[in-house]
Amino acid sequence: MTGLGAFLRFEVLRLLRNVRYVGISVGFPVVFYVLFLHNEHPAAHIAGTTWRTYFMVSMASFGAMVASLNAGGTRLAAERASGWTRQLRVTPLPAWSYVTTKIAASMVIALPVIAVVEATGLLLGGVHLAPATWAALTMVLWASALPFAALGVLVGFVASGETAYPLVTALMFLLSFFGGLFTPVADLPVVLRHTASFLPSYHDASLGWAVVAGRAPALGDAGVLLGYAVVLGLAVTWRHRVEESRAFA
Amino acid sequence: MRRGGGSTSPRDGGCDPALRFSGVVHRYRSLVALDHLDLEVARGETLALLGPNGAGKSTAISILLGLQRPQEGDVAVLGTDPRSAMASGKVGAMLQVGGGSGLPHGVKVGDLVAMTSRLYRRPAAVERTLERAGLTALADRQTHRLSGGQAQRVRFALAVAGDPELVFLDEPTVAMDVDGRRSFWAMMRGFSQEGRTVVFATHHLDEVDAVADRIVVMRGGTVVANGAASTIKAAVPTRRVRFASPGADPARLRELDGVDAATVRGSEVVLDSLDADATVRSLVASGVAFSDIEVTGADLEQAFVALTGDLVDARTVDDAVAGPVSGVQTGLVP
Repeated sequence: MTGLGAFLRFEVLRLLRNVRYVGISVGFPVVFYVLFLHNEHPAAHIAGTTWRTYFMVSMASFGAMVASLNAGGTRLAAERASGWTRQLRVTPLPAWSYVTTKIAASMVIALPVIAVVEATGLLLGGVHLAPATWAALTMVLWASALPFAALGVLVGFVASGETAYPLVTALMFLLSFFGGLFTPVADLPVVLRHTASFLPSYHDASLGWAVVAGRAPALGDAGVLLGYAVVLGLAVTWRHRVEESRAFA
Repeated sequence: MRRGGGSTSPRDGGCDPALRFSGVVHRYRSLVALDHLDLEVARGETLALLGPNGAGKSTAISILLGLQRPQEGDVAVLGTDPRSAMASGKVGAMLQVGGGSGLPHGVKVGDLVAMTSRLYRRPAAVERTLERAGLTALADRQTHRLSGGQAQRVRFALAVAGDPELVFLDEPTVAMDVDGRRSFWAMMRGFSQEGRTVVFATHHLDEVDAVADRIVVMRGGTVVANGAASTIKAAVPTRRVRFASPGADPARLRELDGVDAATVRGSEVVLDSLDADATVRSLVASGVAFSDIEVTGADLEQAFVALTGDLVDARTVDDAVAGPVSGVQTGLVP
């Protein structure tokens, strides 16, 4: 399966060479972290940790989400329109490899994005965590990016070249704001607090918030994320099948 | 080695044909796309697949590439089933793209070809593939900066990157200008002369004439003509020989070889000929003074229109000299 490795490497490099993509994926969370760090006192206590640490987790989740949604969404929609996906089908690559490689490439990018936000927290936010906590946080946030990687690919399949961009932007806004990534969920109006519990973005950050507060991550959060990953993964597979049968019929 | 396996019957077991459809039927609801299609292509052969929209070409192509399974009948590609053949990396294809370039953005031509090569078990050297497709000078260019013709050449490079034994090209020159088309076919010719099998579909019938060893015309999901270009053209009065000859005698012109009809308007003579070569030869031999001769008309195109419409009676198109693989039906199916 050397071909799969080459294809994954190709996809990742293509993302990394895209200045706009890297700028958005890294720039948004880092800039928002620096901008909103002083909305509260950085040392203010919240959910068992400090605001500077809590908000770093929020922005790391946000960054992984932005990177994943943009990796799939717009670019994938454009690729489908260009005919490149069809060309790949007439190579020895198995049919399932397109979708899985797209998701894997998103995941590969999400890890350094999380690391960059963490480094910003450490260097500019004054966040102090034990090495084991840093490691645990990184792993938890990385694994939690999976449903967003699948969601990005799904958007790329559902949307056209023109509609993908607004759709990705809307998802970014809705998931991050209503998921409590900018304003802590406890500070949101009651109605929105309930809404948050349905969103993967909230459960993603919740796992991270638990880690930095020294609590055990809730199985419920992990379960919701896993559920989202499975459902979105199935939806992507289904859309891919439908499109294939249509394109070659 | 142009027709490497051409003389070997598949039943001899020595060399399987490059591809074989036997009794393939495929329907979309009530629409019959392939109606007991029988077709065989020998290894090393260059075959042009023609037919109007809806003739079943696309379905046949998607089946031979393993993208669809036939509902009835058997399909073998390089002696195995289409999916295995594709997975083995011995088949390359250049499909039609809609409006786009068919290429991903954010990558240089050379890197794209290199990545595609790595998808194959025994690829050609990347430099060789770039050279083959005339892309050496464009290796460092970003894919979104290519012209339509250049993008087309990159897609050809992707189709041959795996050093395939069988290449399928669907409308490969559709975005190219005349020069681009000429150099494309020169490049393709070089590729096929290495003993590879090439199957292509095109709407530029003049290309078919120059490039294909054999032409298969499909209509209504089955093969209606199968033979060398000259054979297929001879099946219908296609050629038009035009020249200036003041005071020419139409009756005498009709006596010339191959002439079906002669029209004289002033000094302009138009001959409808079944065999323009023979007509011109006998015109020269006849001693009739002429100038500005040109052989025009859509020749193969006219034959094509006739074959795929209902204009021709079921006259046999027989290719006795350059007969294709034994077992392949040669003739006009009524």
